[in-house]
Amino acid sequence: MARWGMVIDLDKCTGCQACSTACQMENNRLPGENYQDVLYYTEGKQPTPVLKWFPRPCMHCEEPSCMHVCPTKATFKTEDGVVLIDWNKCIGCKYCMIACPYGVRFYTDEKPLVEPNIKDVYPGEGDLSWNPPYKGPQQDNAHGVGIQPHGVVSKCTFCYHKISKAPKGIADLSNDDAANREFVPACVRTCAPTARYFGDLDNPKSNVSRLISDKRGVRLLDHTGNKPQVYYLSGGAGPAVPSGRGGANKA
Amino acid sequence: MNILKNILEFKISRRRFLQASGTIGAAGAAGFGGSKLDGFTTLSKAHAAAESPSSGTVVTKSICAQCPARCGIDVYTTNGRVHAIYGNNDHPIANGKLCPKGHLGTYMLYDADRFKGPMKRTNPNKGRNEDPKFVPIPWDEAFKMVADRLNVLRDKGESHRFGLFFGRGWGASDVGVNIVPFGKLYGSPNAPIGHSSICSDGSVLAKQCTDGNASYSSYDYAHANCLFIFGANYLEAFRPYNNNMQQWGYMRGVKTPKTRIIAVDVHMNQMLSASDRAMIIKPGTDGALALAVAHVILTEGLWEKSFVGNFKDGMNHFKTGEKLEESSFNEKWVKGLIQWWNTELKDRTPKWAESVTTLPADLITTAAREFGSTRPAIALFERGAHTHSNGVLNGMAIHSLNALVGSLFAEGGLAYQMGPAYGQAPAKDDDFMDDYAKNGPHTKMPRIDLKGHEDGYLMAKNMIQEVGRNHLAGKPYKLDTALFYMTNPVFSTANAAKEWEEAVKSMFVIDTSPFPSEIAMMADLILPDNTYLERYQDAPTYPFQGFPLAQLRVPAVKPVYDTRTFADVLIQIGSRIKGPTGDYFKKLESAENIVRHLAKGFADNPGDNGVKDFDSWKAKGCWFKKPYHWRQVRGEFFEWDGNGWNKPMKPEEVKEKLLKTDSGKFEFVSSYMEHKKDWILKATGRSAEKYNMPHWEEPKYTGGGDLHFVTPKTAMHAEGRTANIPHAIALFQPAAGGNKQAVAEVHPSVASAKGFKNGDRIRIKSSVGEIIAIARVTELARPDTIVLPFEHGHWAWGRWAKGRGSHVDEILVQQSDRISGMQNFYTGKVTVERA
Amino acid sequence: MSTQQMKGPVNAAMMAGMAALVIGGGLALVNLMSSGHAAFNTGSSGITWGLPVVGYVFFVLTSTGLTFVASLAMVFGIKEFYPIAKRCIWLALVTLVAGFTCLALELGHPFRMLWAIPTSFQYLSPLNWMGLFYAAYMVLLLLKFQKVNGGDWDSSGSRTLGIASFVSVVIAHGTLGGVFGAMAMRPMWYGPIIPLYFLLTAAVSGAAFAVLITYLTYGNESFMPAKVKNLMKGAMPKVFAAVLGIVILAVVSRTMIGLWSNADGLQVWDHVVASPWYWIELILMVAAFFMLLNGGSPFFPSIMVIISLFIGRYEFLISGQAVPLFKGTWVTGLIDYMPSVTEWMIVLLAVGIVLAGWAFGEKSLNLAAEPAEK
Repeated sequence: MARWGMVIDLDKCTGCQACSTACQMENNRLPGENYQDVLYYTEGKQPTPVLKWFPRPCMHCEEPSCMHVCPTKATFKTEDGVVLIDWNKCIGCKYCMIACPYGVRFYTDEKPLVEPNIKDVYPGEGDLSWNPPYKGPQQDNAHGVGIQPHGVVSKCTFCYHKISKAPKGIADLSNDDAANREFVPACVRTCAPTARYFGDLDNPKSNVSRLISDKRGVRLLDHTGNKPQVYYLSGGAGPAVPSGRGGANKA
Repeated sequence: MNILKNILEFKISRRRFLQASGTIGAAGAAGFGGSKLDGFTTLSKAHAAAESPSSGTVVTKSICAQCPARCGIDVYTTNGRVHAIYGNNDHPIANGKLCPKGHLGTYMLYDADRFKGPMKRTNPNKGRNEDPKFVPIPWDEAFKMVADRLNVLRDKGESHRFGLFFGRGWGASDVGVNIVPFGKLYGSPNAPIGHSSICSDGSVLAKQCTDGNASYSSYDYAHANCLFIFGANYLEAFRPYNNNMQQWGYMRGVKTPKTRIIAVDVHMNQMLSASDRAMIIKPGTDGALALAVAHVILTEGLWEKSFVGNFKDGMNHFKTGEKLEESSFNEKWVKGLIQWWNTELKDRTPKWAESVTTLPADLITTAAREFGSTRPAIALFERGAHTHSNGVLNGMAIHSLNALVGSLFAEGGLAYQMGPAYGQAPAKDDDFMDDYAKNGPHTKMPRIDLKGHEDGYLMAKNMIQEVGRNHLAGKPYKLDTALFYMTNPVFSTANAAKEWEEAVKSMFVIDTSPFPSEIAMMADLILPDNTYLERYQDAPTYPFQGFPLAQLRVPAVKPVYDTRTFADVLIQIGSRIKGPTGDYFKKLESAENIVRHLAKGFADNPGDNGVKDFDSWKAKGCWFKKPYHWRQVRGEFFEWDGNGWNKPMKPEEVKEKLLKTDSGKFEFVSSYMEHKKDWILKATGRSAEKYNMPHWEEPKYTGGGDLHFVTPKTAMHAEGRTANIPHAIALFQPAAGGNKQAVAEVHPSVASAKGFKNGDRIRIKSSVGEIIAIARVTELARPDTIVLPFEHGHWAWGRWAKGRGSHVDEILVQQSDRISGMQNFYTGKVTVERA
Repeated sequence: MSTQQMKGPVNAAMMAGMAALVIGGGLALVNLMSSGHAAFNTGSSGITWGLPVVGYVFFVLTSTGLTFVASLAMVFGIKEFYPIAKRCIWLALVTLVAGFTCLALELGHPFRMLWAIPTSFQYLSPLNWMGLFYAAYMVLLLLKFQKVNGGDWDSSGSRTLGIASFVSVVIAHGTLGGVFGAMAMRPMWYGPIIPLYFLLTAAVSGAAFAVLITYLTYGNESFMPAKVKNLMKGAMPKVFAAVLGIVILAVVSRTMIGLWSNADGLQVWDHVVASPWYWIELILMVAAFFMLLNGGSPFFPSIMVIISLFIGRYEFLISGQAVPLFKGTWVTGLIDYMPSVTEWMIVLLAVGIVLAGWAFGEKSLNLAAEPAEK
């Protein structure tokens, strides 16, 4: 069974947000519901200010604090390592949103970021909270795929509707691999500088494992203990801070 | 956690058999399969009810329309609904990737505010607050209305009073074989008038004046070891943006050695942050920087001797401030180097440039050395450097750096673009010129934009921005009828509110946009186009890597509404023009017919991907033949012989095909400008000594304020079409957090001096108007510059666009570069206060 | 004890309570039906748990505290508290319902909770244990009240129910503290002592409400039965002051460490102490403390403490979410939040439930009953 993970090379990422828009359109998100987001930060002063950014998908943590706090187990982790939300069981308590250190979760019943509310322009049918004319064919409430119903929390699914169809045992999913292109998550597929990689972290020979090894991939907010399955490469030589505090590393 | 989990999970697994899978029935649990009660689930049950997107899904090849790059796209349609767009992996520009705009195309197809069919205006009053009161009319009636009107004008000998204005034209089927012959056969010098003067003509003229090519450049980034980027946001807007980013990933993450990047712009942005050396420059002074870089290259002996030439005695005699004998230098492929040095360059030191640009002299020197000592190196520029009154001069100075380091037509350098091997059009327009077309009164009339006119812009390609004021003044005359395709000058030209917006009130306006733009609101007749996903269209490549490439749009769905492809509409109108003009257009038949004819040319020139006819062109989406045919290697030029760049070129051949100047060389002293010397001296007031060489001239800032006002495009700006896409609005300006509208980046010193805080409303004023904006107080901005991206501020265009943000062109003074006609977008100066 | 001794504004409270119920509930429901939870000012890039959750925490905290006060008599045998014990139990039930109402109107799918939690119980979730024990507590306390209402104060069954109620609410409120205390990614809340902090503030709230409700029942001391009066002037203010003093120390301690530490997430403390509401909270508590020590009427201190605790709960909840987690430039600075009208209406509804519920109990359930003299 794969343990899906992502590697993002910050040396190559240009901050263009194609990953964000590809995700928005593939997964029919609301404006501002950035399952995949590119976060920018500014520091310093003119004439030498510092502008930084990094893409932030859901981290699909090994120890997901969101799953641990969900009262109904609506948030769960699949055997292939993907953290998903079952919209049929979510009661909308939003504890998972409180508990996520990475801010990747979205509640659907809130004021729209951009007026007029697109939900009013394309009202939903039945259970679905809205219904855009360009809606994708995938809809799987049990895995949080598609357009969400009212009153639930949603988040990045690593494009589960795609990766779950990939051949068993495949080490990496990449746009370069024509036969398996349709299984690649949207953000990884479209990234123009090829700054994103997706593959099996449990396979030490996969490209993602090699990248993490070659470039000393790091995880964000390690002190929370969530252990993300998204690694960042920040290029260049030099030391990197280990994620564990002696003895805490597990195989 | 682990011990806790182990204890609790032990309990869970004991209980697993107790948990019933069927108990969860209440709340519409369609698709729920299996028990997920323990945090893990079996895959096989997991997607029991997930619909399969692969059944019934069709992928159509097309071309993205969000910018001129023309990335090939795969359009996914399931059950007649377009639901995804990805890059076409077999397309040399897209390579399966896309920029952020490309994916939003599905949105445009289904835009909630699209026009649903042809309409005519019933409210005679035109204005921002006037409801046009459009009523639907049948297509035939619409065609007849237009044709009758045009025929009347022609009969009266006033056909010149018909203007056809176009923006993003794509190729032969809409422009080359259609719009252009229309003007020629119907008989109007104003059909067409293109938008290039509000696009990037500054760089076109800069190149024309120096190396004889009136074109954007093609680039070989993959082999370049150093890029010096002046005012062209390579990572946000420079085209072809998608491919630029792919090259970036290669240059910075894969290639050895890693390409060095030096970037120049007026605020900190992604490009400057990701570069190795960021230079935050005072707006309008890029030319001074380039001159100083050239100075360092020469004084430190870094120029490419094999291309430029050398001193006869092999020693470097370039010393700051010292004149030289022209005869002391043997020029190879350049002309006028010593003259340029003597007249201008010898005093343009980094220290001098510091006083002009505010960049530290040591930074300039370091950057110059880096650029000068790394081969191959490319100096590239675009609007940031040339939308100023000194724009062409800035551009010439920057482009001269390429000559100095020998990157013209070299591997890892820059060159130009070959056109595709198209077949013949269905008809030849020359065969259909009647006497009126050849000799009518319009042949003696100047263009309404005074392009090519002594009183106007003799050397410009277009001057669309001044049509408004010219029409209002009746000089040279007033237009009667105007047709617009892919352009909205009522929104996107300087001083728009008082010039173009006023002018269209006294024209019969025909708009062909699918969307309710500002022009559409002022229109008398709406003939809505299909969106790009609903039409056939050819598009030869925007200058890319030089090899010929032509891509094809294939309709992914039938038109959603009663709209028609513009090319077909113009053919219908043309068919109804009296005389042989009508016959020409009848022979064209349709856009599809035209592209079928174009494809016939591929039979003798099959593409590298096997495309040899219309059907294979449709299937692959593009035709191309690598490589670019010419290459300069260490000062010698070679042509492609089928196997390699093996055929040496004689100087006459180089002059004919590559360095198309009088001398057949790169001219630091421009002969092209010399031919227009009298006019240039009169029109610009420049000195006879320097006018035709790159030199420093203080830009004429407009607007009368104390802060520079720059309005760049962001990565999300799809030539304006994303103003009505809420997803694009929500992601519009990430570096400054603009997610409800474009925000004005303002330095903290300005905010505290004027008493406003981050997030406050501010009033930005110039001599021609004022706008309200939201302030983003940030150190990204220079203390003397406000940056407010161009996109929002619409008063029409759709429910998300209307009333959002600030219309920057309302406060922009109408001023253009006298040589290129380039609208000076980024040269305004404003005052700002709390609103 | 006859009802004519109750000179307090019981009827007025009933009227006010009904009005609050109708207005608050009506407006809230209308808004929620038309725009769902978009009627709140909460958001995914803003504050996730807003005023309704503050209301929930505040009222269940109060319920917990009232049970503590009642338990002083029923579990720990401190006889001075018997005269107010039944009233405290009833009010504990009413405030619990008020709290649950706030929560129910806040959840996306409140009814789904009823089957989804039992069938798919996440053992690791503090929220679940809190819910479980609060549910158990409600049942147990209801049963206890039933016993007491029937005059059975100290049969073994009644005693057991009393103890069970007390134990279950301690665990429930402790785990409610744990909901926040377990959040390692939010230093403003993180810490093992938070459950204890919650229990302490619950006790203070309970004492304050017990005092308030006693005075509202009787009007003023001259109408109180002797035992009640002695309690209000004797043991009650002492207990009240003692717990209040510890809470003040806890608040000061949290503040000092929050201001001192540079750890990311604690920068919000600068913002907290810059707000006048923080100082109102602190001053009210300190003033109430000294007023209680001085031996005056505990009535005004109780009101001051209630206000202070509401501010404190609001501040705890909202400022714990004020530091944006990975929102980059989309959220500059700290998150701003102002509850919407609908959110205030939910709190008004809860207040209405408390007022009307108490008034009903006061008029019909003989809340002044106490065990027969032995």
